[in-house]
Amino acid sequence: MAYEPQYYPGATSVAENRRKHMSGKVEKLREISDDDLTLVLGHRAPGSDYPSTHPPLAEMGEPECSMRELVEPTPGAKAGDRVRYVQFVDSMYNAPSTPYFRSYAAAINFRGVDPGTLSGRQVVEARERDMEELAKFQMETEMTCPALASLRGATVHGHSLRLPEDGLMFDMLDRCRKEGDVVIMHKDQVGRPIDKKVNLGKPMSPEEAAKRTTIYRVDNVAFRDDLEVIEWVHRVFDKRTTYGFKPEN
Amino acid sequence: MADDRKRMFAKHMEIKYTKEHGTNKMEGGEITDMTVEYHRLGVDQNPRKLEMKKAGQELAKKRGLVGYNPMMHCGGIPLGQRALTPSFLSGTDDMVEIDDLHYVNNAAMQQMWDDIRRTVIVGMDMAHETLEKRLGIEVTPETINHYLETLNHALPGGAVVQEHMVETHPALVDDCYVKMFTGDDELADEIDKQFLIDINKEFPAEQAEQLKAAIGKSSWQAAHIPTIVSRVTDGGQTSRWMAMQVGMSFISAYSMCAGEAAVADLSYAAKHAGVIQMGEMLPARRARAPNEPGGIPFGHMADIVQTSRVDAEDPAHVALEVVGAGCMLYDQIWLGSYMSGGVGFTQYATAAYCNNILDDNLYYNVDYINDKYDGAANKGTDNKVKATLDVVKDIATESTIYGLENYEKYPTTLEDHFGGSQRATSLSAAAGSAVSIATGNGNAGLSGWYLCMYLHKEALGRLGFFGYDLQDQCGATNVLSYQSDEGLALELRGPNYPNYAMNVGHQGGYAAITSAAHAGRGDAYAVNPLVKIAFADKLLPFDFTQPRKEFARGALREFEPAGERSLIIPAK
Repeated sequence: MAYEPQYYPGATSVAENRRKHMSGKVEKLREISDDDLTLVLGHRAPGSDYPSTHPPLAEMGEPECSMRELVEPTPGAKAGDRVRYVQFVDSMYNAPSTPYFRSYAAAINFRGVDPGTLSGRQVVEARERDMEELAKFQMETEMTCPALASLRGATVHGHSLRLPEDGLMFDMLDRCRKEGDVVIMHKDQVGRPIDKKVNLGKPMSPEEAAKRTTIYRVDNVAFRDDLEVIEWVHRVFDKRTTYGFKPEN
Repeated sequence: MADDRKRMFAKHMEIKYTKEHGTNKMEGGEITDMTVEYHRLGVDQNPRKLEMKKAGQELAKKRGLVGYNPMMHCGGIPLGQRALTPSFLSGTDDMVEIDDLHYVNNAAMQQMWDDIRRTVIVGMDMAHETLEKRLGIEVTPETINHYLETLNHALPGGAVVQEHMVETHPALVDDCYVKMFTGDDELADEIDKQFLIDINKEFPAEQAEQLKAAIGKSSWQAAHIPTIVSRVTDGGQTSRWMAMQVGMSFISAYSMCAGEAAVADLSYAAKHAGVIQMGEMLPARRARAPNEPGGIPFGHMADIVQTSRVDAEDPAHVALEVVGAGCMLYDQIWLGSYMSGGVGFTQYATAAYCNNILDDNLYYNVDYINDKYDGAANKGTDNKVKATLDVVKDIATESTIYGLENYEKYPTTLEDHFGGSQRATSLSAAAGSAVSIATGNGNAGLSGWYLCMYLHKEALGRLGFFGYDLQDQCGATNVLSYQSDEGLALELRGPNYPNYAMNVGHQGGYAAITSAAHAGRGDAYAVNPLVKIAFADKLLPFDFTQPRKEFARGALREFEPAGERSLIIPAK
């Protein structure tokens, strides 16, 4: 019998969305071109070569090693790319993803990634082209709403602040703006102005965000109503506690 | 119950977020609104930031070298792109600027730590036995009074025994003194009142009986060396300074020979055998002396704070004052400065003792417990509920979900606790303290803390920062472990406990959970009766019965600290 990953408990839409994010089976909602992605990430000029920190692995004469034979290097590792980052901030007001679910999605579905999970932001470090593959995936799919989530390398403040009238999560550095019915980004991740405005696509409506979110909220899907998740948390808690008390059990 | 309840933070949120402060244009709206206008007014919207900006400009002009300049922030985008709002110290109506809750800007915070660091408790009985049994010198209440008068001259830096000595100026060390206390009521009656911490007077009768039973007829000195000495040196100096002056005072008061061998016994008693430090010495990798904050066990912090003797009927209040004191010392000073650096730790810490958000959560829990568990949150020992995992799960889950829903129903509270670590501290301190109050068991409370962290993480898909989450995911596993270097009774754990050593936002909560267990039972002390009694003293500059009020006085520039140098510097 083939193993079917279950990913996450719960009987609500939030739990279902969490399973989707973890499985990688998310809906693509928009297109971001490679050059646009490069611009907003801000690590190199669009069209330029990937800077490298070592020659391609094929040219390095690697030592004989069973692990190296077993594990196929990622494209970025093969090419000798430097390690770069992408960092997302997701609003508490029904942003589609949350830091832990971005991390789970990255760790489960991508190779060679190093996710870091905080409360207001979530960072993934990887070889540059591997990171870009992940960033593009997350930006183009239902994991991201351009109004309720944004790329912020530094000065990330805003995930828990009230929304302004235009619905764009507060950003001290004003990296994104609403223009017409789309969100544009005119600064890169760390707030440096970029040469052109990058169209990040249409924001989700409040109803759509509520439907796609992975965060429990009392005004949408209340945490206390997802009894299976609470029961599962209690089970984890019981096991961890009693294990420390009586390891032989 | 939850929705009908008037939130304790409502008034503070209304003033912070619907009334203008300075020129921040934060006028109108409701504290339940999910949208707001951001005016991006910069630092000029806030009175304290303006004062600081002006001071920075004057400094640059005066010294010819630039200093504080808010336009250096984010390449010319200053703080204040959102409204800069003031804060209220929880449990008070005192509104303060948040900058004034950094300990550098707050003399009361500095003095709280000074008063702990410069305190040491020294037994008198060992010295008296040496005098009586070895030297045949009679010790009477009269000789003790004479000795204490001598020591109150010598401890601040007055000379005894020797000629042509340098002395400290009394006006610079006016906060230095020693008092004694004893469980022997007959002896206490004979001690000059100026020298006595009177247990019967300072504590409610029930607590006084507990304390006297705990310490028996033993006698102790609570010595506070000068603040200025403690600031120049470190916590390790406290017992050394005290022991030198105690030794000299015994020689003088009892007309001993300065070189006789018995002096070594007195010295040994004062330096080692009869000494209670407020904080234990830390291991070499942290390289701190005794009486530094990393060595202060949570039980000691619970005993240093004195709310339990002035408001014993309200265990939640007792725990909340310990949260304030603990977060300030452990987070802002210990982790924020000794172990790390910069200014960021203040934001974590103040969330737990400002704007009544934690207070509301904990008092909700008290009502919940009293309703469901037949008054188990009231002070007492016969009313406690048995500490089981089912009880922990029930109380901590209800507490956590109530607190989380407040952030969702009142977006201004979410904006106030704008970081996940702030929310995690507040929610877990409420859950843990509530379990402690209900069960009278600090480790059960700690268990509630960890469950709260799990629930919070799963509800919001986020918790705190990397290290925060790491420690809170593995902590439950050692809640019930008493193996060395893994677990301990919470009273005996402290900031240097392996899993807590870099654990910002937690240690004040742990101290509160410790204190809540004992306040819930009506205990006179958490772990050390001597520490509890030593700080039951109105002469200390910092009032340990109300730390949060004192922090407000510091922020409002109303607090009068000790150890000032104005006597010996040019007048301005």
